[in-house]
Amino acid sequence: MPRAPRGSRPRAEAGTPREAAGGHPTEASARALDVRRTEVAAPRFRIFVVDSGWNSAAHRVLQENFGLIRDLQKDDPIYVLSREQSIEFIRHHQERIGREPLIAVHDLAAMSESGTTDFHGFRLHLGLLRTPQQALLALQNFTRFLSTHRQSTDLEAEIRTDLRREGLAGAIEIILHHEAREIGE
Amino acid sequence: MPERWSDYAAIFMSALALGYLVYEIDRRRRKLHDVFDVLDADDANITARLEDMVASGELHPYTGATLA
Repeated sequence: MPRAPRGSRPRAEAGTPREAAGGHPTEASARALDVRRTEVAAPRFRIFVVDSGWNSAAHRVLQENFGLIRDLQKDDPIYVLSREQSIEFIRHHQERIGREPLIAVHDLAAMSESGTTDFHGFRLHLGLLRTPQQALLALQNFTRFLSTHRQSTDLEAEIRTDLRREGLAGAIEIILHHEAREIGE
Repeated sequence: MPERWSDYAAIFMSALALGYLVYEIDRRRRKLHDVFDVLDADDANITARLEDMVASGELHPYTGATLA
């Protein structure tokens, strides 16, 4: 399904140093700063883990590294569905069977702006990765992405840029006959 | 127009290589999107279900150190 680019759309929580720069502090700007500080402290994401418990490399890697991920993502709540909840969930979304563990990240800033009708987060189908090394690498990249983009004012554009960059890197590797970055094989 | 069979063969092989390159790039792009992608209107049902579970108190932030 084609998606319209929305790279230039301003986000409600936007608060870059550029905006704060210049001019004398007024009551309004002080209030804005307070609001901004409150927003920085508030969770940006809700993270959901759905894992019905397939005996897979991805399942084991997630189990072994979850504590570290939780410690690195202390600012955002992580919701872990139990095995029973995950199975019930997957039963209603059967196209996802075998793709779990699934990690869904809801961007609260985007959801407060446009609900779920538009871009509202991102997800990782960890279960599609076959080897422990691939699963661990994906999990590390995912966690890094979460941490580094937490204050992003246009998360969607940054995700799409990253995906394009990854695609371009893949193309270059094909040309150079390298297979090191191969995903899911 | 190419005059020798070897010219035809070279053109054919080049087209084949280019086709393979396009196919391989597209295959990897699809695989990447299968693994990692944005949530949008297509995923609205799933998002709504998960948010409902939080709103109804069925789900709480996980505080354990490890997954059970």
